[in-house]
Amino acid sequence: MKITIILLAILTVELGLAQAQESPYFVTYDHHLEEPGNLEIEVYTTSGVPRSGQVAYVAPYMELEYGVTGRWTSELYLEGQGTVGDSAVFTGWRFENRFRPFKREHWINPVLYLEYERTSEATRIQKEIVGGGPDVTSPNSELQPSKNHELEAKLILSGTTHDWNIAGNFITEKNLSQSEGFEFGYAFGVARPLATLASATACRFCRENFIAGVEVYGGLGSTEEGFSARHTAHYVAPVLSWQISDNGSLRFSPSFALTQEGSPVLFRFGYSYEVRGLGSKLAQIFAGKH
Amino acid sequence: MRIVLSSVAIVMLLVVGFVGQNLSYQQDPGWRVPSDAVARANPLARRPEAAAGGEKLFRRNCAECHGEDGSGLAKKNAADLLLPVVQSQTDGTLFWKITNGNTDRGMPSFSRLPELQRWQLVLYLRQLRPSAK
Repeated sequence: MKITIILLAILTVELGLAQAQESPYFVTYDHHLEEPGNLEIEVYTTSGVPRSGQVAYVAPYMELEYGVTGRWTSELYLEGQGTVGDSAVFTGWRFENRFRPFKREHWINPVLYLEYERTSEATRIQKEIVGGGPDVTSPNSELQPSKNHELEAKLILSGTTHDWNIAGNFITEKNLSQSEGFEFGYAFGVARPLATLASATACRFCRENFIAGVEVYGGLGSTEEGFSARHTAHYVAPVLSWQISDNGSLRFSPSFALTQEGSPVLFRFGYSYEVRGLGSKLAQIFAGKH
Repeated sequence: MRIVLSSVAIVMLLVVGFVGQNLSYQQDPGWRVPSDAVARANPLARRPEAAAGGEKLFRRNCAECHGEDGSGLAKKNAADLLLPVVQSQTDGTLFWKITNGNTDRGMPSFSRLPELQRWQLVLYLRQLRPSAK
């Protein structure tokens, strides 16, 4: 009860401040990096609706995203998974870095993404889908002991025209622990704010606080098992973000499967909170200035 | 005695005000704006009421480094937006600088804001006045 009251209080304070803009995508990355010195704390869940022979699961994950410079963002993920009638497990962590090679804004802005993953086969957050997608049928007792070291690279191409953001990600992943060859995947997203002019006063439900769009993502097979769209998971997902405060935003997206692989529907929820100026505050502490 | 104390207090307030303000701001000569961008006109120029939205955006996105009054925080090496060297720049120049940032000098890109909101910021920058410190 106390927790509910505290959460309601936080939400009320957040709503009282309502404003700002944030990307609505869950899977697709655009070219906007974290502002230097800011830390974004994000909590997400991916819930899978089962097909026959599958069971429902919820895969929560947390992201800590820090703007190292204006063109370099680092991020740490911690992830877990709970399956109905099975168990809840910590499935591992990921560390990724995004680099923007060009200083200026262009029609198409490339961003290089490099990630190291230490996750088990039980991972189901589906932050990206490569190869044939995750195993959503085997029990955790079989999947969890199998831990993988993986390297992942993405080429992110993104641009904004007439306030429409259009982004495409080309993904390749290499499992260093098992011989799976190189696995490939993709993600594309399009999104736009519902209003582009800021109103004069702070407001909760103004259209300017919402960004809507759609993303499409899936696996493209691997060098070991061949390239095929048929035996891989593909999803189309409307996305919506609501900026509930200067620093906080909520996101929601139902993803619908386009093939018979993976879960037929994924529900994704997210909340992110930005801590502004963390870098300069820490620098002051370590420099002994208060 | 009272006069001395008042004088000291006024001097201290002035010192605090000037320490916070970035009067020593120097423009980055490498931050060059393309000529076509310099010439762009503000599409909201005839809608001065839109500046109120710009003020809201400024407090949210800019005040952390440039200060609530735009005078620029020295510790952030942020420009004093009231200086003639800033105010004499064209609307198009300011729009381009907000859009692209100067990432090597700590100024982030604000291209994630819709285009009209960036123009609202420019509109508001024109209305900045020195605060009475």
